[in-house]
Amino acid sequence: MLPSYEELSAWLPDLLSGLSISLQVTALSLLIGIPFGLLLALGVLAKSRLTKILALFLVEVGRGAPALVLLQFIYFGLPTTGLTLGSFTAAVIALAWNTGAYSSEIIRASLQSIPHGQREAAVAIGLNRLDALRYVLLPQGLRVALPALLAFSILIFQGTSLCFTIALPELVSRAYEIGSNTFRYFPALLAAGVLYASISIPAALLVSHVEKRAGSYAQR
Amino acid sequence: MDGAVLHLGSGKPTMTEDDALAAKGAPSEKGQARKPLIKLDKLSKHYGNHTVLDGIDLEVMPGEVLAIIGPSGSGKSTLLRCINYLEPPDGGHVTIGDISLNAAAAAGRSELSTLRRSVGMVFQSFNLFPHMTVLRNVSLAQERALGRSRKNADERSMQLLSRVGLADKAEQFPGRCSGGQQQRIAIARALALDPDVMLFDEPTSALDPELGLEVLAVMRELAETGMTMIVVTHEMSFAENVSDTVMIMADGKIIEKGPSQDVMRNPQQERTKRFLRAVHDR
Repeated sequence: MLPSYEELSAWLPDLLSGLSISLQVTALSLLIGIPFGLLLALGVLAKSRLTKILALFLVEVGRGAPALVLLQFIYFGLPTTGLTLGSFTAAVIALAWNTGAYSSEIIRASLQSIPHGQREAAVAIGLNRLDALRYVLLPQGLRVALPALLAFSILIFQGTSLCFTIALPELVSRAYEIGSNTFRYFPALLAAGVLYASISIPAALLVSHVEKRAGSYAQR
Repeated sequence: MDGAVLHLGSGKPTMTEDDALAAKGAPSEKGQARKPLIKLDKLSKHYGNHTVLDGIDLEVMPGEVLAIIGPSGSGKSTLLRCINYLEPPDGGHVTIGDISLNAAAAAGRSELSTLRRSVGMVFQSFNLFPHMTVLRNVSLAQERALGRSRKNADERSMQLLSRVGLADKAEQFPGRCSGGQQQRIAIARALALDPDVMLFDEPTSALDPELGLEVLAVMRELAETGMTMIVVTHEMSFAENVSDTVMIMADGKIIEKGPSQDVMRNPQQERTKRFLRAVHDR
């Protein structure tokens, strides 16, 4: 059942290049998605109705639709409107949207968890709204949000496996390909699973470490 | 200035309120000492059907220390928060120095920031920024609102921290400081903008009595330098001995106002007598 040593050394270059694509999609989705989530969170909290409605729409669609549906829609659906994207770009857009929608909720909740007096003090000492956000609210809010954002990042990394459905040669596609060439599905997918775990488990340990440390400045 | 301070300490009961204020304001602004620094006209505030402030008229002279006392829910804190528009009032006018805001019209951002820069506020729960050092807490607004350089701001902050006796805490985080120290830092932070008036919203209510004393000592020193102060407080001895004027509020109205010793020792209104009796009986 287990892959033999020869098999592993034959498969590993393919699997690792798949893993590399998975990690690239994850990194880009997070780099774009989390700042996008911050903007969406501010949009949802904004006073202007139009901004609020637009932000809410993007958040609700991004959270409401399964990531798989977003992927399929952007890769297979958009071309009918004339917009054709490569599978890598489509994957990043779909997952960044998904990340933005979820992280906006995490960030919004974190911002709202900061005691009201912090905002009042910032306003009372003459900071304008942007400075109050930049120096007082965001540094505290993001610290609260950090563990949840990191935990979500692991989910997105695992979510890249969905990109197998839009022909992106990431880790699962590679394992599947090996399986269909050799009929050794079980060991190939097992090897892929171990590779996922080799990233996810240390990352989860990091999250719980960060979780313990976050907010400790208040008690120091 | 020092002469006036000595006067206030020893000979206050024999002076009228106006004499005391003239003495305080006189050295720097002779001709203008008569003009109130803060003027509230028919200030009102409602939460739904509930009237929190019911047409408050109030004048505070430069250098005056006004204590506002009264039962909970009387609108004391709301009044304070309306003065710097943390809570925008619904009706009336707020005038501080040259800035005048009409509550009926929407206040512009630049007007509001000018207003807030001339008013320092100290909160019951300190509200220091926990993620910054003590020094940054005091310097931040100087840099962002006054445009001072980091170096100048830090120098000024260190002066102010020494003044409240906490220069050695500059590099610590607020969470490491006691409540009394935190409140003194909050006073330094508010002073950093060189405000014309300082508002104190029950500054000692969250502190145990011993720590409250060190905050009161700082406030007393501040009063002696001629700072204009409005203090919402339950500290009756501060109201009686440090403030020039005491104002009693109940149900969103001013019940009684006058020189502090008169009001505290010989109140005229039945409502004031009842309140002071309740306080003393505790």
